[in-house]
Amino acid sequence: MTTTSQKHRDFMAEPMGEKPVGSLAGIGEVLGKKLEERGFDKAYVVLGQFLVLKKDEDFFREWLKDTCGANAKQSGDCFGCLREWCDAFL
Amino acid sequence: MAGLSDLELRRELQALGFQPGPITDTTRDVYRNKLRRLRGEARLRDEERLREEARPRGEERPREEARLREDGPLRARPAAASLRAEPWLSQPTSSLAYATPGAYGDIRPSAASWVGSRGLAYPARPAQLRRRASVRGSSEEDEDARTPDRAAQGPGLAARRWWAASPAPARLPSGLLGPDPRPGLRATRAGPAGTARARPEVGRRLERWLSRLLLWASLGLLLVFLGILWVKMGKPSAPQEAEDNMKLLPVDCERKTDEFCQAKQKAALLELLHELYNFLAIQAGNFECGNPEKLKSKCIPVMEAQEYIANVTSSSSAKFEAALTWILSSNKDVGIWLKGEDQSELVTTVDKVVCLESARPRMGVGCRLSRALLTAVTNVLIFFWCLAFLWGLLILLKYRWRKLEEEEQAMYEMVKKIIDVVQDHYVDWEQDMERYPYVGILHVRDTLIPPQSRRRMKRVWDRAVEFLASNESRIQTESHRVAGEDMLVWRWTKPSSFSDSER
Repeated sequence: MTTTSQKHRDFMAEPMGEKPVGSLAGIGEVLGKKLEERGFDKAYVVLGQFLVLKKDEDFFREWLKDTCGANAKQSGDCFGCLREWCDAFL
Repeated sequence: MAGLSDLELRRELQALGFQPGPITDTTRDVYRNKLRRLRGEARLRDEERLREEARPRGEERPREEARLREDGPLRARPAAASLRAEPWLSQPTSSLAYATPGAYGDIRPSAASWVGSRGLAYPARPAQLRRRASVRGSSEEDEDARTPDRAAQGPGLAARRWWAASPAPARLPSGLLGPDPRPGLRATRAGPAGTARARPEVGRRLERWLSRLLLWASLGLLLVFLGILWVKMGKPSAPQEAEDNMKLLPVDCERKTDEFCQAKQKAALLELLHELYNFLAIQAGNFECGNPEKLKSKCIPVMEAQEYIANVTSSSSAKFEAALTWILSSNKDVGIWLKGEDQSELVTTVDKVVCLESARPRMGVGCRLSRALLTAVTNVLIFFWCLAFLWGLLILLKYRWRKLEEEEQAMYEMVKKIIDVVQDHYVDWEQDMERYPYVGILHVRDTLIPPQSRRRMKRVWDRAVEFLASNESRIQTESHRVAGEDMLVWRWTKPSSFSDSER
């Protein structure tokens, strides 16, 4: 997937700071709520999980699917978003 | 899998060649799934390999799997790979490369696996006994789920050997400690305790032999039954005999002595006797077969017979008496018995004769058949009871052997648990978590056996203690003062060379 969504571009535009988890690409309202229930209330927490999974795509996407029920597209978007962020800033 | 601690999960993954990241609450599930997938792949690879290179040994595997399935519940220690044990394992791994059925090939990986599990137990140390027990308990279930899929030895299996060190449990004490009496064949079976099989093997052979014998005996019995049936069905030739005998009568011609007289006399006598014989036979037959005329016995009173004969042949009573005399004097079997007052005594004169009986009652076909059947069945019944008895014995023996085998298994399982506990205790002592390097025997028993089963397991426990005293070199039985009283204790004597530097 080469095209990025607006959300993705917004996320990349500035430091994530205290942005909520819903600001991640692929994470909408429903998924965001589910993640918040699990304690992943901020984007940086999800980033933390991404890093803890050593930035592995399969693991992260599997985790996302198990945690909030994200489908393939959603998890792919989220992963892409975080990966790019890491590539740029980490 | 649910019972794995994080460290164990990590070790397992590393053993399968994968480096996991931190295992936290959130990442645990992911890594567990990974482990599952890796194991599945490894298993598939090994099955492929084994299928290729061990085609003729195909039938051994299901047997082994069945045996391993039996071993399923017999596990106590969760195992996980240990980095330290790896170098050691690479050596037997290569020997296993072609699934050699050698005894050592079998024993070494189990030894390594067992050692591997021990090596791991140390870093898993910080847990208390309770937690360890729970881990053990839950990992048992997981291992149970795992074992049905297992195949025979293979290098890729080395990791799983550690995981399920359980075929090791029973195998270990006998494998390492006692010399395996049948290394070649037994080891390929990879069943628990080859030595324990020695006795049931003989039993099994005996069993097979006995059951074959019984089968043939049953068939033979059937044939005998049919034979008796056929014999009893009757000899149509029998009456012929009597008639032939009668034809050899010396003629007693009273009035005249010429040829004609003699012939006539002879004919008349013959006819008389023939009639008498038939009459008696029919009467006897009727009596035997349901007795429609309500006769008192097979023996027909003389008067009645005489009357009948008089009616039929119109001969005088003198002739009748002559016939009787002849029968008495003849030493051939005419088929007619003359009976006096006393049934068992032999009569010598015609006066004493009270009744006549046929020796060969004539019976209808149906009657004959039913009688034959009855006789055959009665005769055969004895043999049948003998056979039934032998069958019962066989079943009893089989039951008994099975029970013995089960007991043996239980004993080995207990021994394994005890060894684990004693070693754990020693390692705890090395880490200054225990005061003494030895542990009381009764304390171990109470740790391993819940109170409600203590009486039931008493026998197994005693045998296990005995086994340890005589066959385990690493555990010393001593008497010490523990917790204020003198008691027998077990002390682990082997120095633990697998101290984990991660501790």
